[in-house]
Amino acid sequence: MIKLLRLDDRLLHGQVAFTWTPALGVDTLVIANDKLAKDEFRKMTLGLAKPPGTRLIIKNVAEGTAFLRDAKNAGLKMLVLVDSVSDAFALAEAIPDIRSINFGGLRTRDRAKAISKSIFLTDEDIALSRKLLERGLELEIRQVPTDTKQLLEPLI
Amino acid sequence: MLTSFLLITLIAVFGHAEDFLGTTLLSRPLVLGPLVGWALGDLQQGIIIGGTLELIFMGNIKVGAAIPPDVITGGVLGTAFAIVSGKGVAIALALAIPISVLAEMLLSGLFVFRSAFNKYFERYAEAGDWRKIQRLHIFSGLLKPVLMGLICFLALQLGSTAMKSFLDSIPAWVNTGLQVAGNMLPALGFALLMNLMFNKQVAPYFFLGFILAAYLKLPVIAIGGIGLIIALLVARRKSPADTEGDEDNHDPLPAATEQPSLQRRDIRQLFFRSLTLEANFNFETWQNTGFAFAMIPVLRKIYKTREALSAALRRQLQFFNTSPYGSTLIIGITAAMEEQNSRSTEFDAESINAIKAGLMGPLAGVFDSLFWGTFKVIAAGVGTSLALKGNIMGAVLFLLIFNVPHLVLRYRLTFIGYHTGTRFLHQLAKDQVMDRLTYGASILGLMVIGAMPATLISIKTPISFGAGDSPVSLQGILDQIVPSLIPLALTWIIFYCVRRNMKTTWLLLGLLLLGFFGSIIHLFA
Repeated sequence: MIKLLRLDDRLLHGQVAFTWTPALGVDTLVIANDKLAKDEFRKMTLGLAKPPGTRLIIKNVAEGTAFLRDAKNAGLKMLVLVDSVSDAFALAEAIPDIRSINFGGLRTRDRAKAISKSIFLTDEDIALSRKLLERGLELEIRQVPTDTKQLLEPLI
Repeated sequence: MLTSFLLITLIAVFGHAEDFLGTTLLSRPLVLGPLVGWALGDLQQGIIIGGTLELIFMGNIKVGAAIPPDVITGGVLGTAFAIVSGKGVAIALALAIPISVLAEMLLSGLFVFRSAFNKYFERYAEAGDWRKIQRLHIFSGLLKPVLMGLICFLALQLGSTAMKSFLDSIPAWVNTGLQVAGNMLPALGFALLMNLMFNKQVAPYFFLGFILAAYLKLPVIAIGGIGLIIALLVARRKSPADTEGDEDNHDPLPAATEQPSLQRRDIRQLFFRSLTLEANFNFETWQNTGFAFAMIPVLRKIYKTREALSAALRRQLQFFNTSPYGSTLIIGITAAMEEQNSRSTEFDAESINAIKAGLMGPLAGVFDSLFWGTFKVIAAGVGTSLALKGNIMGAVLFLLIFNVPHLVLRYRLTFIGYHTGTRFLHQLAKDQVMDRLTYGASILGLMVIGAMPATLISIKTPISFGAGDSPVSLQGILDQIVPSLIPLALTWIIFYCVRRNMKTTWLLLGLLLLGFFGSIIHLFA
């Protein structure tokens, strides 16, 4: 079961290891990212940050989708991490169970504008987000679980 | 009074200057409380108020960009008003909480405002003007202590008379209610800390800590010592049994160059300059200018042309955020890579940022949990248990327990990063050092937290049964079965709520109301 799909360009770091993992009570962290799946060095560093008592699975987006859809894994309590709106969109397209996306942190990039203090989106990101909203998904901004949910819709 | 107010203002400025001083927890109420007490001529009261505030703000920590209430401004002003008006601990709490929430909003505004300087940093980097980068880093960093100092001074100067007459008008029963409410609040701090570390695997250690404290009445220092021994034994036993097929271990980036040209002096300077990492924290690029500030002397040494220096400065100004406690490892690795880049034209300078970005998140996870989750917990446990008795050693031990490991490790990591680079991390990953370390650390941390409900809060019930000459007090019965049952139960209830993602602010309010009305209807005392 997917407990949360989180968008965070730092993927696994303090806030995730330290606040989300215990708050959601997850036992498996799934990172779906094409670049990372090929990068042995970053995989190794992320392994260091793995919270105790959890499994860390790093796959590219296609394999990650397959993993999440696999009925064998339905018993796992999963936190899914992606680092771009387009990856989140791809997962949400393929997996109907995903009804909500947490916008955790997307830092400033070229052509991206500030939506909230932790979220910067480009025009393409906003277009994809609108599509997700049309499909009735909840898009919410929270850095840590105890933040109040701030909805993305009125901000874009 | 003016002299005292100026002194207190300086104390607030000092607290906020912590961002220049290595995030060494100088700003915590446990440390600033005694200073304020001393400035007002009542050291004893300052120590006790500081200890109490520390308990309540115990779970109040900075992870990533999520900014907690500003306990510096709240704590300093709350302590000062309480001592000036002679009203004691309960009033200090009642003032510190709202003030710190308001001050946090102001700080968030400042962190947004600071982003406006980023284009100047960019421009200076473009021109290779490292002096101006340093100057702006310090100037923008100083805005926080100066601004908050000013606010403290105005609040004291303009508000203290009005505050005193307001506090004088508070009836005694309200004061009693507040006191009981204040006694309940630490349960929230304990629950927030538990939330960081608690899982089924280490759960028994929480109760071990509780039993040692509640039944055997051991002091927190002793429980920390026992915890350390158990953690060492358990973590060592859990040795690397499973070695997955050993991949060939060639380094993606062998950091130490054949002849490192940087000297000990240079590396040491990286460490010292890393202490200002958080000074210019802003919501757009976070700690980037602090990172650049640390690197500047090294860059000046290895890049001889203005163009090369300018390119390097721009690289340093990329978004950066990690735990300050482990930052020097990344700084050391970056220094080694920059050095290689300066020597070889084939070196891909982009890879420097890729490595930096790859390391900052994971290492933040590792060092935040180690320092916030373990060292801070033990330091605060030991420190507050002494401070609540009015012992100044509480503040001293607090700083020592946290900062001796912090500074030694931070210093060593600079050298390790520079000399062994990413090889060190491969080694850690291969030996599963991290797994054992976090496991041991959570055992130790949780034992100390388990001791806290039994030693650091006192909530009792005055209820008694039976009339006439021999009423039976409920508390007496409870004490014979499980001493400190009420604090323990309260901590668990709040912990349950925290796990259900209830907002901290609501829990805080709820506890205040429970304590306040519980005291009025004589349920708690």
